[in-house]
Amino acid sequence: MTFAVQITAADLWALLPELFLSTLLCLILTLDFIKPSGDKRLLAHLSNLGLAVLLVILAEMAVSGVDRRLFGNMFVVDRLALFFKAFVVLSTMMIIAVSVGYTEALPAFRGEYYVLVLFSALGMLLMASANDLLTMFITLEFSTFGFYILVAYQRKDPASSEAGLKLFILGAFTASLIAFGISLIYGETGTLVFDEIARRSQTVTPGLAVGFLLILAGLGFKIGAAPFHGWIPDTYQGAPTPITAFLSIAPKGAAFAVLLRFLLSAFGADKAHWVWLLVLLSMLSMTYGNLVAIAQSNIKRLLAYSGIAQIGNILVGLAAASKTGSDAILFYLLTYLFANLGAFAVIIAVSQQTGGDLIDDYKGLNRRSPMLAATMLIFLLSLAGVPPLAGFIGKLYLFVSAAKEGLFALVIVGLVNVVISLYYYMVVVKKIYVNEPVDSTPLSIPPMMKTVILGSAVFVLLLGIYPRPFFALVTAATQIFVGVNVAVLQ
Amino acid sequence: MTSHLISLILFAPFLGAGLLFFVSNQQRTLVRAIAIISTGLSFVLSFYLLYAYNYQAGGLQFTEQYIWSKELGISFYLGVDGISVPLVLASSILVFCGVFVSWHIKDRLKEFYMFLLILASATMGVYVSLDLFFLYFFYEMSVIPMYLLLAIWGSHTKGYLEMADTAKRDSIGFLFNFAKNSKEYAAMKLTLFLSAGAVVALLGILLIYTTSGLHTFSIPELAAHSHIPGNLKTLIWLLIFFGFASIAPIWPLHSWSPVGHAAAPAAVSMLHAGVLMKLGHFSIIRVAYEILPDTTKQWLIVAAVLCVFSIIYGGLVAYFQRDTKYVIGYSSSSHMGYIFLGMAALNVISLTGAVLYMFAHALATGMLFAMAGFIYDQTHTRDIPSLGGLSRKMPFIMGAFIIALAASVGLPATVNFIGELMIVIGSWPVYPVQTIIALLGIALTMGYLMRMFRGLFFGELSPPGAHAHDASPFVDRLPLVIMMACSLYFGFFPSQFIHVISSGVEPLVAKIQGVAEVVSVPPSGNP
Repeated sequence: MTFAVQITAADLWALLPELFLSTLLCLILTLDFIKPSGDKRLLAHLSNLGLAVLLVILAEMAVSGVDRRLFGNMFVVDRLALFFKAFVVLSTMMIIAVSVGYTEALPAFRGEYYVLVLFSALGMLLMASANDLLTMFITLEFSTFGFYILVAYQRKDPASSEAGLKLFILGAFTASLIAFGISLIYGETGTLVFDEIARRSQTVTPGLAVGFLLILAGLGFKIGAAPFHGWIPDTYQGAPTPITAFLSIAPKGAAFAVLLRFLLSAFGADKAHWVWLLVLLSMLSMTYGNLVAIAQSNIKRLLAYSGIAQIGNILVGLAAASKTGSDAILFYLLTYLFANLGAFAVIIAVSQQTGGDLIDDYKGLNRRSPMLAATMLIFLLSLAGVPPLAGFIGKLYLFVSAAKEGLFALVIVGLVNVVISLYYYMVVVKKIYVNEPVDSTPLSIPPMMKTVILGSAVFVLLLGIYPRPFFALVTAATQIFVGVNVAVLQ
Repeated sequence: MTSHLISLILFAPFLGAGLLFFVSNQQRTLVRAIAIISTGLSFVLSFYLLYAYNYQAGGLQFTEQYIWSKELGISFYLGVDGISVPLVLASSILVFCGVFVSWHIKDRLKEFYMFLLILASATMGVYVSLDLFFLYFFYEMSVIPMYLLLAIWGSHTKGYLEMADTAKRDSIGFLFNFAKNSKEYAAMKLTLFLSAGAVVALLGILLIYTTSGLHTFSIPELAAHSHIPGNLKTLIWLLIFFGFASIAPIWPLHSWSPVGHAAAPAAVSMLHAGVLMKLGHFSIIRVAYEILPDTTKQWLIVAAVLCVFSIIYGGLVAYFQRDTKYVIGYSSSSHMGYIFLGMAALNVISLTGAVLYMFAHALATGMLFAMAGFIYDQTHTRDIPSLGGLSRKMPFIMGAFIIALAASVGLPATVNFIGELMIVIGSWPVYPVQTIIALLGIALTMGYLMRMFRGLFFGELSPPGAHAHDASPFVDRLPLVIMMACSLYFGFFPSQFIHVISSGVEPLVAKIQGVAEVVSVPPSGNP
């Protein structure tokens, strides 16, 4: 198979976000070299300025309705891709904002921290556009490399090194699974492009099925769905907290972009064969994550397990395998972005001053900082899915999409899990509000952190109370999945 | 023309809570002022609503509708019918009184009022929602403030404080220990019970949404046009009934309720017993009766059977309690059975009586909880045997207690009497056995309330009561006076109420019974 790759000026415009971010990355790296001993906060602010410009570029592209397929269909720039790019950029901005002041205090800190964060973000931007198996594989690895270093950033800390090693070994193993799966699918269909696979895989052959399963398992590792979640708790606990937050959001979003295209564009016609698999994955992740979260005493581990359960929730929409399901996924990711990142921001703010990540360190937080307590309440309740917060609407949307496809068993398991999760979130809420603080000195919050926390809280409320514009946004982004089975065969 | 009356009633407390967020906890006067003004506004407007509601026209009035999401078919659809008007009024009366009852709270007054106002608005939100989504939205929203109110400002019961191992008291494992009664345990139990009930009901709601094929959550629209397949209807009805009945709380799903009452601060117990529990009955009427009328007729026997257990079990357990709040809590559980009986008998008189009784019970139980809370504040105990002789220390409270007791038992001149009478008259032809048991339940109520009254006020003055004071002239007396006045006023002049309620009940009963029954309410008000 050969194709002549021609790059036109219009193609370059479509690649503008990635090109811009690459330039920004090089700029930050150079600046870091020029002034090795300077104030690194400047790098953070500069990165965020650049990312803000990038967000504007993405918005402009979405408004002008860019829809291009580059390099022989390997790379698409459509609304779905733009949505996920914006998602990644937004989460990167927030991560950089909460890192300021926290990571500088780490013993191993160097200016390249921000470069590595941007580097991972670049990988994820590319991932959002992947429309063939090879691009998917390369971008997936690309985005993970940055994380290998970032997770093990505190070299002197054994927990951090362990976290990095765990992520690396399992990540490499996953990569081999995916590569094997790709080779099988290529062998069966003779193509790597998603739309082409859909056209050529009319009958399900064993090779195709095994290849599909291997890739699904590999992506399952990336999103941390049970039973592929092994690396999540230790990695989340050991990594520097901003990186944990980053890891819990951005790669998940990008991986769902790939999963959506992989499942709906390439294998949408065979969905009768794989829906039950996703139903199972989803049930397992929700139940396992929530049950184990109950027993945690470290807040980062608690959020790690709750994160596994949240991924299970998002998989409900994937199991629905419909336009509504993908709308629900996009919307839920938005709610998850603000709620989860907000919760991590509070954790960073607290551990910056108390130095601890135990749930018991949150005792009496309400007396030490009413603002942190109130926002943590909002974030945790949103994660639990309590109205009028974002998570409630998101979960309802997911369950409605599954109910429309007749997956009532999944809806029942999901609803039971809402109650289970309420328990452990409420235990944290109890520590914050009911218990008396051990040390009652008031906590002060750096201004950037405050902006992120309050901004997230506002969005969590806004998404819950007035979600109309966001619904419009996500339904526009998933237009390509209208009538999944038909769209790919046109 | 759309009127904004309902949204004003609903959002006034919400706005109050929002404003409170920006006020410092030190400015106690300002905090109280905001709470009074926002709930007072709702209170006055709800009274206006009762008299502005045109019962001759009936149906849904003061409706407001805004599209909230086209993708899911949700609209923010508010409005009242004859059934919701009294409940809105009850909610606003109780929260207004609740603000005064919790006047003296020392710890974090601002947060207390914030959560109280959110709780009250969320409750009212359920009563005025005409969209299934928002009904559920507000329903679930009312649960979380309850958790915080109980866990922060609640009080432990005896066993907890005797636990020597303090480390164990705070451990997570402790919450699973069913033997002790800490406030956190009560709060968590309540939250999990109600959330579990809510998700069961939500499953039913989702089934209605997907099988009706209308792509809407609007209750009037679903009631008019939905075609749900027969065998599924039964399942949906059971899900809705048991989901919502767990908050009502029907026997055997009641166990969270007395514990919750006992742990809650007075104002929260008032709202909890007064209006929160009625969310269950109301939601069953709103969802199951309206959308699944034929299944309702077929399955109401479930309610008719279970209500007997509620009445007798609750009454007997109340009789043997030592803790004042447990007595009132079990008594509330027991009285909820009357409402189910009225709902099960399903004729205009019994259902009107049931709705009226929901209102009446809110006032009676509100008074009792307010006074139990006051006595606890003064004596620091709720143990009846260690109290006594309070008549010398607090004559006003004693007087108010007599009226509350009369209302709770349902003596003539109180609005409870009319509600009970209508339930009994309406149910007699349909379920004579249950009606007789209900009458026995009234006797039982008389028994345990009199026993508590004697234990609290008569006999030798006990040591805990030595330094007790009577209710202060304004702040402590006002809420009791308001509730007494409402109870007596509507006991003497119930006609407006009965007209309004029956204008909502008649079409519903006619729809369920298939043929329009020619049972109308006495024309000029007095039953």
